[in-house]
Amino acid sequence: MRMNPGWKGVRRVGLLLATAAALSILVAACGGDDDDDGGGGDVSAEAPKCGAGNGQKASGPPINFGAINTKQPGTDFSEGGRAVKAYFDCVNDNGGINGRPVELVLETEQTDPGQIANAATKLAQSDEVVGFAGNFSIIEGAVNHTFYEENGFNVLCAGIAPEAYSTPNMACVNMGPRYSSDGAVQAVIRAGAEKIVFDQSNVPGTDYIEAGVRAVAEAEGVEFQGNADNVPIQDANSVALKLVQAAGENGGVVLNFTPPEALKILQAAQQQGIAQQVKAWGCSTPCNTDFVAEALDQSFDDVLLVNAELNVTDADDEDSQLYRDVMAKYAPDDPLGSFTQMGFVIGQIATEAMLNIDGEVTKESYNEAVQNIKNFRTGILCAPWYFGEAPLHIPNNIDWTTTPQGGTMVIKEDCFEISDADPDIAQVRQIEAQDPSLIGG
Amino acid sequence: MILGFLDLPSWEQFQPFLATGLALGGVYALSGVGMVVLYQTTGVLNLAFGAIGAMGALIAWELVNNAGVPEGFAYLACVLFGGAVTLLYGIVFGGPLAGRDPLVKATATLGLLLILLGAMSWIWSDKARSLTLPTSTPAFDVGQVTVNWTQVIALGLGVAVTFGTLAFLRFTNLGTAMRALANDREIAATLGVPVRRVEAQAWLVSGLLSGAAGLLLSNLVGLDAATLTFLVISSLSAALIARLRSLPVTFFAALVVGVVTALITPIFEISEYRQMTPFVLAVIALLWLSRRRQVTIPGTAG
Repeated sequence: MRMNPGWKGVRRVGLLLATAAALSILVAACGGDDDDDGGGGDVSAEAPKCGAGNGQKASGPPINFGAINTKQPGTDFSEGGRAVKAYFDCVNDNGGINGRPVELVLETEQTDPGQIANAATKLAQSDEVVGFAGNFSIIEGAVNHTFYEENGFNVLCAGIAPEAYSTPNMACVNMGPRYSSDGAVQAVIRAGAEKIVFDQSNVPGTDYIEAGVRAVAEAEGVEFQGNADNVPIQDANSVALKLVQAAGENGGVVLNFTPPEALKILQAAQQQGIAQQVKAWGCSTPCNTDFVAEALDQSFDDVLLVNAELNVTDADDEDSQLYRDVMAKYAPDDPLGSFTQMGFVIGQIATEAMLNIDGEVTKESYNEAVQNIKNFRTGILCAPWYFGEAPLHIPNNIDWTTTPQGGTMVIKEDCFEISDADPDIAQVRQIEAQDPSLIGG
Repeated sequence: MILGFLDLPSWEQFQPFLATGLALGGVYALSGVGMVVLYQTTGVLNLAFGAIGAMGALIAWELVNNAGVPEGFAYLACVLFGGAVTLLYGIVFGGPLAGRDPLVKATATLGLLLILLGAMSWIWSDKARSLTLPTSTPAFDVGQVTVNWTQVIALGLGVAVTFGTLAFLRFTNLGTAMRALANDREIAATLGVPVRRVEAQAWLVSGLLSGAAGLLLSNLVGLDAATLTFLVISSLSAALIARLRSLPVTFFAALVVGVVTALITPIFEISEYRQMTPFVLAVIALLWLSRRRQVTIPGTAG
């Protein structure tokens, strides 16, 4: 049979397909980005109370804060900054700070050091911010920590770069990939693994992260094998196979990737039926999202152990309830998850610092108040948070372990200390022992 | 001896990697054939092939998860989207670019790639999402690993498309017209081959294949815009090994790229370099194929 390629036919098919494509794009565009639970969940009927909690609208000249967030194709942390803003909006609906509203000026960056340095200078000089609250960035800490030290800013952040944890003027509410991976390794060892195979993104800084997990594994007398894979992963089936084979039936695999990359490996293991061919799987905090849990079947229930730097989003403590209420009212388009939890906690800490100030909120008074933050308690973190005067800051060093169950992440292990076999954690524990008031002692 | 420094896994451990490599190779073949057919007919090397498939797969995900569309229709929409966008591009830009240098034509598709990649980043952020085809159920075991039906389909479709296209080009009017265009566009036009019409059909077929490849890869690799967009490199390497001419060579080169990449994965010492495989194989093949050509430097010929 011969084909008769009539032009009219082709044109008709073309028109039909073009229409289908246009409709598809329209559907996609309308669908937006609702792959998470979008600020829904269990919320209170009453208006949330933040800061002074008096229900009065703030007015007058605003107190400006700055935040620098990574936002580029493949990495968008700006929902963290928006959660800080959501908390400030709630504060502004509850009397503000001595009647004045609090504004957050959010700058986004694309991991360009020059752009990041300019953003900090612009916020400090043009926007005259009193402080930085909500820096969610890949490299911002490495670029700007000297600027903060030279200009007297004490920064509240959620970072990745080592400098976000190892410098005197930055303190994050998260613990970053190294210490979170430490926690995942500890959980997998407790599950009985006699060998740890650790896999992470092949990006600058992998040696720094591996040094911590290797120290933790070796301190427990467990064999350790480090590995790095280029991202985006293009052969997840092979990667999952490689890791499982290397770990063996008495070993465990620990992943340190962004959620999409980790999910590729976990799903590949699931589809090949090899999820349970090791003692346990571990994952640093990014895996602690319900979407990962939803995408996995029962083969990972109680087998995937995720280090959770923050409480589960549906926890029933007062702070988690307020977090859900604030997100539902002030940032309904942003998902409930680790990043917005971190932003919310940063908002709480910055507000507490301002409320502790006697007199005018200025750059000097605010940054001094931040440094004086000690024993800050919230149900979203395992242990009291502090800033204090220290050469390095890892105030979040006690975590939960979660595991998927029925499509959600549930607490598997209650709060446990990240191992001080990691030399950085040992140094922090020493600082806390020297000044127990930091953690309420 | 040269491999003495490597800690090689046993043959039994290699077996499952063979299965995953063949599955990926099958999809690379599917894509490679689509690219070669289009190049032969229109002279365009479509670098946006992966991006089109990626967007189709994301649209399918959106339709299933947020619009409640039945899975079958969503998967069909993915394939149709690939055909529609590619055909539209061919209709709009195929004519104006027809007389241009192949490099210009390829660069123009790079523009389409960037537009689609930007649109995907804008519409669907970097959040984790997945598309699990109903065929991702166990088919049979290879060693200790279960091969699923999607992997079987990927390889089977690669075979079917390659050899089906060969038969199509040989035994149909349209196929003959496409081969005529591949030989000489001007002479073919002079002889009455409806050039624009034939080219449009090549764009359409190539686009449908990009949609199918995107759908399969979203399941075999992961539903991620950047990953699916740049997986075109492996297919491109297979097409280059075949010098953008031979479909059987494209098919076998794609399988070799998939299998070699997979077999390198469990060798930890070199595992992180496995993504160089497509480039290395393409360079070796091109050097081998051009070994008898003489380089003439102007002014030195005697």
